Amino acid sequence: MPKIEYANLDAEIEKLHSEGFTYLTKITAVDYVDHVEVLYFLRDIEKNKEIVVRSDLAPNYLRLKSIMHLYPAADWYERELSEMFGIDFIGRKTKRLLLEKWDGKGNPLRKSFTWGSKYEVQE
Amino acid sequence: MLTNELAYSKAVAYIMSLLSWDKLNFIYNFVLANIVYGVIVIIGVMLFVVIFGWVERKVMAKAQFRHGPTKVGPYGFFQNIADALKLLSKENFIPESADKYLFVSSIVFILAILLFSMLIVPFSGGIYAVDLSVALLAIFVLLSVLPILIFVAGWSSGNKFGSISAQRSIIMMVSYEMPMLMVIAAVALAAHSFSFFSIVGAQSNMYFAVLMPIGFVVFFIAMLAELERPPFDIREADSELISGWLTDVGAPFYASVLIVDYARMLLGSLLIVLLFFGGWQGPFLPKVAWLLIKVFIVAIFIIVLRATYVRMRLDRLLRFGWLWLLPLSIINLIWVYFFMVWGVIL
Amino acid sequence: MSETKINIGPIHPSTHGVLRLVVTVDGDTIKEVEPHIGFLHRGVEKLAESRMYMQNIVYMEKLDYAAPMAHQELYVSTVEKLLGIEVKERAEYVRVVLLELQRIASHLLWLGTMCNDIGQMFSMFMWTMRDRDMILRLLQEATGQRMFYVNMRLGGVNRDLPAGFEDDTYKVLDSIEHSLGEYKDFLESNPVFMERLKNVGVLSRENAIRLGVTGPVLRGSGIDYDVRRNSSYYKYTKLGFRPAVETGGDSFARYKVRMKEMQESISLVRKALEEMPKGDALGLPIKLIGAVPKEKEAIVKRELPRGEGMMYMVADKQRPYRLAIRAPAFINLAALDHISRGQRLADLFAILGSLDLVMADVDK
Repeated sequence: MPKIEYANLDAEIEKLHSEGFTYLTKITAVDYVDHVEVLYFLRDIEKNKEIVVRSDLAPNYLRLKSIMHLYPAADWYERELSEMFGIDFIGRKTKRLLLEKWDGKGNPLRKSFTWGSKYEVQE
Repeated sequence: MLTNELAYSKAVAYIMSLLSWDKLNFIYNFVLANIVYGVIVIIGVMLFVVIFGWVERKVMAKAQFRHGPTKVGPYGFFQNIADALKLLSKENFIPESADKYLFVSSIVFILAILLFSMLIVPFSGGIYAVDLSVALLAIFVLLSVLPILIFVAGWSSGNKFGSISAQRSIIMMVSYEMPMLMVIAAVALAAHSFSFFSIVGAQSNMYFAVLMPIGFVVFFIAMLAELERPPFDIREADSELISGWLTDVGAPFYASVLIVDYARMLLGSLLIVLLFFGGWQGPFLPKVAWLLIKVFIVAIFIIVLRATYVRMRLDRLLRFGWLWLLPLSIINLIWVYFFMVWGVIL
Repeated sequence: MSETKINIGPIHPSTHGVLRLVVTVDGDTIKEVEPHIGFLHRGVEKLAESRMYMQNIVYMEKLDYAAPMAHQELYVSTVEKLLGIEVKERAEYVRVVLLELQRIASHLLWLGTMCNDIGQMFSMFMWTMRDRDMILRLLQEATGQRMFYVNMRLGGVNRDLPAGFEDDTYKVLDSIEHSLGEYKDFLESNPVFMERLKNVGVLSRENAIRLGVTGPVLRGSGIDYDVRRNSSYYKYTKLGFRPAVETGGDSFARYKVRMKEMQESISLVRKALEEMPKGDALGLPIKLIGAVPKEKEAIVKRELPRGEGMMYMVADKQRPYRLAIRAPAFINLAALDHISRGQRLADLFAILGSLDLVMADVDK
């Protein structure tokens, strides 16, 4: 499936959901430095069909509309993404980070992330 | 004036008569004998705790394809003593949020009440402290205090798991005490007495377990709940409430709670044997030996249940107690009544 | 009654590792369960980006210490797909044998711990650990290691099944099949066990899909989806694999699904050993220098013992550019809040046991 324009992403997912792709396998993202690609793995469990919805985000504007109202399974994936990539999900009730132990500085799975001085080996 | 003098001299005479040598001697003997007996019973209970702790570990180990304790003493016999010593050598930690005096005293009281109730139970025709005519009721009253003391201990520990366990303790008591009381009533009806001697004597022809099988089953189940044994270890539930009311109990107290655990087990098995299996009656062997053999058989049965059963849920126990145990115990009571009336025909 | 918050964990006898649950209860009824995870977070996905393809296997194994074989196989097949390497035919059979043995071992561990959770005094745990150990010994015979195997190689396995492995496996499988029957009789004839699981933690068919649960939890809710059949890999369809499905949706249905799966795995291993062709099963050596990815990215799904695992890998030259792991326990735990609402506090642990969590898998 070709990439979806960022503007059409929500409409596309809603369309797929109504077509029977009701099972969300995973939401993940890849940081390509010049853009962040976000991937929704959707599945029609009755017909055994799968589809990957992709879209590019600009690295300085990481915002997505939450799809929790369609897929409650998205809850933890969205939380994971906002912690790991700094993607802001709009329309969520809880914004608590998933792993929590993180001090909140930086997003570990971004390529620009470096271990801060706190984590350097003392010699 | 005269009447006053008369009254005075009468009172003096009465007091003197109370303090007469015979009476004094009797009181002295009675008190001393009971203290000695009490010490012997406590030693006996401790012995039972050691032996039985070992038996339980070994039986559980056998049921689970393990070896159990092997290092301390022959076949690991003294393992429990070693464990108790280890526990006693630790710091007695009392949590800051606990109500200190309530917390400490409740655990001490639990141990004291258990040991005290041991004095009421006879071990054979000759080994006993007092022959109370209401011994069965007295035991029942003392056993009813335990859940309340456990409630106090759990509540005052200042731990949420402890307080959940405390509430569970009361709810459990509500569910199993009524049927138990009914069965005790049936036993007293059959023996025409609340005294253990009469109850044991009444079983010389037929064990009460044969006379009232329903009553026996109900009493056994209620006793398991009383003893906190699986499947009714609901208030101690180690996989849910960590250890329930014992969560914040420090090591030395925990050792005493372990003693409570096994002393309670002894008391429960003793009651089952005395009420339903003819107590110390039996041929050839000495009477105490028969009693202990029967107690061990009952106790090992309880351990096997521990090795196999899963824990019951609290609300199910409540439902089970009121919808099954209570009607069954009432049926049992009616059955015993009719048996006593038309016993000859049957 | 007013609502109370109870903190369970991270150190608690039946949270299977370091899971913290903040439970809001009204009396004895659960209003809300809020899982707090991350105590075991190691950042495997980030670590994988800085290591070469075959160096990552060791990390992938530790994702799920109860079933390391399944995870390493998932990772290795992702790399295989990325590099365009075909798996040898005998190796496919060998992998099926090892994976299914690992599945039985994992499910046996689950059975023991679940019985522990609902209050049995370690008996079932000891019995199943004994059976599990026989399988671990078999796996040790086959791979050289008891727990963490690092056995899968690109295109095959590190070493072929040793001589005499078949006979040992048949013996062990017979023994386990026998004891499984015994456990089944033992548990299902026990009314207390049945009432602890039946109608506890019901997850309806619709909600199972909405919440995205996987594996035995999904199949326990009556959805006939098993990756082994639906995206057929290796020789599962050829070996006559049939997924185990139950319609109850409660903890008991999940229990039955796993019991059936163990039976199915036993017959799969037997059949795979019978039909295994002669030949070469060895894969490429682990020092993979100069590997050229043929694809830009690879998506591989596998049915792990805990559910469907998926890896999405974007290729770089020598190492993954990005590795995204879909952990089955992660999403099953996310459904815990929904499943346990309205249940009793004591049931929370029955539900937790029936979900079969491994916290290393959840936290990544």
